[in-house]
Amino acid sequence: MRAKDHPAMRRYMRRFVPITFVYMASIALATFIIVDRAPATALTIGLALLPGLAVLGWLWAMARLLVELDDEYLRMLEVRKMLVATGLTLAITSVWGILELFSPAIPHMPVFFVFPMWCVGLAIGQLVNRFGFGDAGDCG
Amino acid sequence: MKNRLKVLRAERDWTQGDLADALGISRQSINAIETGKYDPSLPLAFRIADLFALPIEAIFMRD
Repeated sequence: MRAKDHPAMRRYMRRFVPITFVYMASIALATFIIVDRAPATALTIGLALLPGLAVLGWLWAMARLLVELDDEYLRMLEVRKMLVATGLTLAITSVWGILELFSPAIPHMPVFFVFPMWCVGLAIGQLVNRFGFGDAGDCG
Repeated sequence: MKNRLKVLRAERDWTQGDLADALGISRQSINAIETGKYDPSLPLAFRIADLFALPIEAIFMRD
């Protein structure tokens, strides 16, 4: 069995794709409907929460992948990717936060960027798996 | 940790895929174990030993 054919990987992709669609569509919808500096109403908060729910969906899908992936080696590759992503995200946001605190010249980093940054970290984690350990896995 | 997995597999004329299927794991995992990139957990090492009908220490050795 190839890694990408593992039932847990296939289930992960079946969850990942529709959640990604919901995220993209809800971001586009919120951007289209909510004007800049709009007052907080039930509609604007509801629309703004939709992409957040999609992010929760991604986190749930990744957690389920780790639970359902019964191949310990493939699971180790996924966990290593997530550790690399978490380390990079913590490093960047922590250092940036301290810089913001002590230097007014440093622009504020919106918290919105934390999750995309972590996803970029996953891609870097995949490169670490491939070039540092000679195996990238197939989980994307 | 060193192992004799590749030799034992060759003696039985099994491919990595055959062994992976017999153990219910990915071929990628077999390759990682054979090449020493990954040391299996004790439960997986026992399953491998059971499959070859050998004690664990006949398959896995200290470096």
